[in-house]
Amino acid sequence: MVGASYITAGLISLAAAQLVSNSEPEGMALVVGKLLTLDESDKIFNPGLILMRGSKLEYVGELREVPEGYEVLKHEELWAWPGLVDLHSHIHGPGRDLNDMVKPLNPELRASPTFDPFEERIEVATAAGVTTLFGIPGSGTSISGFGLVYKTKRSEPSYDNMVVRDPGGMKVAQNFNPQRGAGDVGNTWCGLAFNLEHLNDRVSRLASDDEAELDWQLENLARVHRGELPVLIHCASAEGVAAVVRMWKVRYGTDCVVSHGSWDGWMAAGFAAKHGVPVNHGPRTANMLSTRREDRVVGGAAEYTAAGVPLFSLNTDAPVIPQEQLFLQGSMSARLGADAYHMLRAVTTHPAQSFQLADRVGSLESGKDADVVLSTGDPLDPRSRVEFVFIDGQLEYSRADDGQIF
Amino acid sequence: MTMIPKAIGLLALTVLPSHAAPRGEGGSDLLAIRVGKAETISQGTLEHVVILVEGGKIVTIGEDLLIERGIPILERPDWTAMPGLVSCHTRIGLEKSTSRSFEPNTNPKREVYPRQKVWKELLELGVTTLGLVPEGNSGVPGQAIAIRPYGDTIDEMLLEEDVYLKMNLQSSSSSKAIIRDAFGKVDTYNKKVAKEREKWEKAREKSKKKSSRSRSKKSKDDDEKEGDDKEKEKAKSTEEVPKEFVPPAPDAKVQPFIDLREGRLTAMLSIRKAGDYLHLLDVMEEEEDVKWFLRVPLRTDIDLYEVADRLGEREVLAVLNTRITLQAHSRRERNIPAELARTGVHLALTPESDRMSSYEEWMNDVGHLVSRGLEREKALAAVTQEPARALGLDEQLGTLDAGKDANIVFWDGDPLEPASRVQAVMLEGRFVTGEVD
Amino acid sequence: MDRSRTRHFFGISWVVLFTLGLVAPGFSRGAARLLDDEDEKKEEEKQDEKEGEEDDAYFAVVGGDVITGTGAVLRGATVLSKNGVIEAIGSNVFLPEGTETLDAGGMSVYPGLVALNASSRISGGLLAAEAPIVAGRDILDHLNESIGRALGGESHVDTPDNRRGDEIGDWEDLQGEQEAGAKGSKHNDSFDPFSPYMTMALAAGITTADQSGAAVKLKRGEIGDVVMNERNLVSFSWSTENPSGIRSLREKFRTTQDYLDKYRAWEERGNKDEKEPPKKGVDRSALRVLQNRSLARFRANDREDLLGIARFAQEFGFRPVIDGCREGWTVADELGRAGAYAIIIARDRRPKDESLVRPGGSKIENAAILHRHGVQIAVKAFTTSIESMGITGRDILHLPVEAAFAVRGGLSNEAALAAITTVPARILGVSQRVGTLVEGKDCDLIVTDGDILHYQTFVQYAVVSGKLVYDKEKELYFAHIRPRPEGIEDELEVEAVEDDGEEEPPEGDGEDDGEGDDEGDGEGDGEGDGEGDDEDGDHQDDDS
Repeated sequence: MVGASYITAGLISLAAAQLVSNSEPEGMALVVGKLLTLDESDKIFNPGLILMRGSKLEYVGELREVPEGYEVLKHEELWAWPGLVDLHSHIHGPGRDLNDMVKPLNPELRASPTFDPFEERIEVATAAGVTTLFGIPGSGTSISGFGLVYKTKRSEPSYDNMVVRDPGGMKVAQNFNPQRGAGDVGNTWCGLAFNLEHLNDRVSRLASDDEAELDWQLENLARVHRGELPVLIHCASAEGVAAVVRMWKVRYGTDCVVSHGSWDGWMAAGFAAKHGVPVNHGPRTANMLSTRREDRVVGGAAEYTAAGVPLFSLNTDAPVIPQEQLFLQGSMSARLGADAYHMLRAVTTHPAQSFQLADRVGSLESGKDADVVLSTGDPLDPRSRVEFVFIDGQLEYSRADDGQIF
Repeated sequence: MTMIPKAIGLLALTVLPSHAAPRGEGGSDLLAIRVGKAETISQGTLEHVVILVEGGKIVTIGEDLLIERGIPILERPDWTAMPGLVSCHTRIGLEKSTSRSFEPNTNPKREVYPRQKVWKELLELGVTTLGLVPEGNSGVPGQAIAIRPYGDTIDEMLLEEDVYLKMNLQSSSSSKAIIRDAFGKVDTYNKKVAKEREKWEKAREKSKKKSSRSRSKKSKDDDEKEGDDKEKEKAKSTEEVPKEFVPPAPDAKVQPFIDLREGRLTAMLSIRKAGDYLHLLDVMEEEEDVKWFLRVPLRTDIDLYEVADRLGEREVLAVLNTRITLQAHSRRERNIPAELARTGVHLALTPESDRMSSYEEWMNDVGHLVSRGLEREKALAAVTQEPARALGLDEQLGTLDAGKDANIVFWDGDPLEPASRVQAVMLEGRFVTGEVD
Repeated sequence: MDRSRTRHFFGISWVVLFTLGLVAPGFSRGAARLLDDEDEKKEEEKQDEKEGEEDDAYFAVVGGDVITGTGAVLRGATVLSKNGVIEAIGSNVFLPEGTETLDAGGMSVYPGLVALNASSRISGGLLAAEAPIVAGRDILDHLNESIGRALGGESHVDTPDNRRGDEIGDWEDLQGEQEAGAKGSKHNDSFDPFSPYMTMALAAGITTADQSGAAVKLKRGEIGDVVMNERNLVSFSWSTENPSGIRSLREKFRTTQDYLDKYRAWEERGNKDEKEPPKKGVDRSALRVLQNRSLARFRANDREDLLGIARFAQEFGFRPVIDGCREGWTVADELGRAGAYAIIIARDRRPKDESLVRPGGSKIENAAILHRHGVQIAVKAFTTSIESMGITGRDILHLPVEAAFAVRGGLSNEAALAAITTVPARILGVSQRVGTLVEGKDCDLIVTDGDILHYQTFVQYAVVSGKLVYDKEKELYFAHIRPRPEGIEDELEVEAVEDDGEEEPPEGDGEDDGEGDDEGDGEGDGEGDGEGDDEDGDHQDDDS
């Protein structure tokens, strides 16, 4: 019985592949056994139907008649879920070009010149159902520049085809890594804070003044202060998390996201929650055998979510954790006490919502980008194989055709 | 109502010395000390206590004793007396020395410099007895000596040599082998002695039977003998056979292990973690006759609590430094001395480290352990009676009992209270510190 | 749901099987023998040893679904241990008076896991500073590999053997050599039965750890007899970049094989006056391998090396253990023919060498493809350490996660379980004692709150040699996560409607191997550790 369903699956997938390459159908219909929408009401359809038209989702819901002219991909043994989103990724280009380290503050820099659409690591990410990435510069300087939001499309690898938003947001490093021994201010947290505030105070004033003329080098930072672009802030430890919330939310009111929040950062979760600052946790998600909470292995995700942090999300800091293992950050967080379904949100809808991307990605809802992953089971289970990945309605990976990349 | 019999008893006791030496003439040093409280260790806490001291010893001690007229009395109703403190495993006052790995026949006697300020300072803190150990955290660094921190020469300071043999045992093949090999050498020696004895017995018999005729054949054993033994043997055969068997002298480094087996010496086995204790048992299970104590330096994250029950079962005497530790991988405090004491371990405490500052804080630290669960009586015994036992001096000192050395520390309050200060210290009947007239 | 249905299905068939076992006593024992044909004798000896003791200690794990590792799933069964050895398994097991019991109702019972390449801190404990816990596996591996290369294919033995040099001593001495470590083994003597790392390993389901080639049983609170075998692996290096090393290795094996042949002939003739064949040039390690007393281990990943090893092993008739085996999928048939064992990291992603046309690099299906070709698959953890500075899911505590990645690549759930139990037990030479739950083997088992390969499953209890050594609720580390009373029912919401692993296609599904798809070499940093250092990893450990 089991075998039979697999044979059928194989036949259908072959047929589907042919259809995709041959004609220009109206749209595409996906019939799946289970459909996780990850929408606001967390609807799950069992089985479910997805209609894709162009690059967008046209219909997501229970089975109904497929309109004419739609090519049908029927896989009742598979699950469908939205493509995964990672807000903290460095695989968009070569590591050596990650971080310009001469000046401590580089609001004028962008990651886009380093963007390599042919980067091989992106392909593995696609095959694991990771479809949207915020590719950012490193954390060796306090402001390392602006990253870009892109999709992991393989069929036509190019900047124009892949990039969703550039600049996609700013990258800040609040503590630890940017501490410099360069002989200038910035060897301590005090110095780092001074550097940031010195610049931010100026730009924040200018940003609110319509008359003011801005140096082009500060234009993007001004957009951050106007709330037009989000900012992702590298920090760790409870003090670090608290400092981020105080500076970037309480003082400057930016659309900020705490990133990492490692070690005992979760101890400031309540403070972040109180001010509504989202946390993008990882790559370290366990606080093991260490300080502040005796003898327990503390799962950061469990603590952040229990404290009510809004839009909690997970990252890989790829390549620290290989990009394709984003889902495992969810599995392991669920293992260490967080709610498993919530961890699914943490790699889909939450990162999208916390980074001004909710209108396009993160959930399966009509009108959004058709980024759909079909897998053999629970997205958080390492055993589940990804069979198909659609990005913007295009089939970007098919295990049957491409071979199992991951 | 119990006053009368006590008074009589005291009279009876005091008669003797007062006759033996005319008082007031300098010969007799009889002194009665009346204090508010005494921590006797052996009989608990007494109140309104009279301690009668003479000839360096405590003559008697009791509650509300009447003191015979004429005996000088030191009236200190605000004071609390307790036995002098005993630190039984320390290197305070000794220079840093090269670490010894296998010197079982040595001790640190020559490392002691009298007339150092440190000894006086220790006395002022109430420390009247010290067990000084050789330097070395692996192998068998040597034997400990017991001293009083008082005197102009080492011989005046020395209480006892060879009080215990310090041996370090860790979870490793090499560490276990050192101890096994050492005892193995005793076996080798014993075999040698047995052979010699056999030979002597044969020779003895022969000489008895045929005292006139000389022997022509040698014993078979000789094949296994070493060259010089053979020669000795030859020499012996021509000599007259001694009436008493004289065993060959063992190697100096083997002797301590023979002494251990024969109960003349005790071992102080130093381990670093709970697991070491099981390896210790593994090694020592074959040495049933050897009496040993345990030394465990407490590190922050030591896991000794894991073997608390097993240590208690054996009623091991464990020498620990005075500190609260943390459970490994946690910030959970563990009061290991208290935990061990509860299981029946004989607890002896040393200051947290060998630094003077640790000695200054010692009783504070002990008080800290008590405030966190260590039984008060066991805490007091752990700095007096039990360490005295570790030094083999428990017959002589460590409690306030008649017949014991008059090593007494006088406090202006509870010795375990941080505010309490030492008011006077008596060492073997003599006030060595404090304003006493 | 599906899970229970499948369980039921298995339940029926295995109840039947088990009934057979009752009808024919000794059946299971026989099955065990079939599985582990080697070392039967030792099993017998061990039995005899144990039987001599007085005051038998009985321990029973009652009511769990017992996954024996031999293919059987016994629902609601009891595992009875007598003096640390499994006395009986089944649903109508008689419990002698005084049997200590552990209720495993509603839970699953698995054989304890066997962890290859584990940090020595697991058995060495807190003060075992010689092996850092946060050590990159790769640093060590690469170091070993390069040292091996530098040495030119010289063999080195992972056991006390190596101190004796290459020239063998007395034949008799060799024959009488002690196989299992006992008193005097450095692993026995440095064993820390209170190591918190050991507790964590037990929490991860590991009951046997490979400590530099020695199979160490994670007994808690006691020492002695913890080393089950420390001489089963002999390491050799093989690299096509070093042809002279390969030549000298072949030479060693040939000389040793010649000697062995001559010796056997000499022995057969039984002529006392004839001199024993000369031992010149005979290699002790090679001798052990050729006598089938040790397994030869090679660290190798590249296709050419793997091919070379496979052919070399066939030439001399031994089964190689290949640690790494990244490109094994490209030469799976050869490795299968050589009867190889492969120790793999399923999720390892390495691109192939760009300069080569042939298929290469890592492949997620590696384990499945190799397994299909008869290679015995063992899975090792991504890192040897206990924790990876807060990065979770890839250290030695997550063996089942690594095995789950092998399933992702097409390996069956059963083979994945074997890859962390029976196969590593065979590699370490202790399969006669651990790895499966059958009568006569050591009672080393774990009780879990679900499918061992599921990411949320926790080990609730661990039992080693018939003693309870880990209880999740009573230990520090995980007690606060899904405490036991709720724990068992509290399944993932998503999973509530999930079709369990059971609908996994039968083994053998998946792509055909090979087929020259250069796509297989998925790029990506297999090792996050390395790259993260100079980049954005929040490596603050050195700071403040």
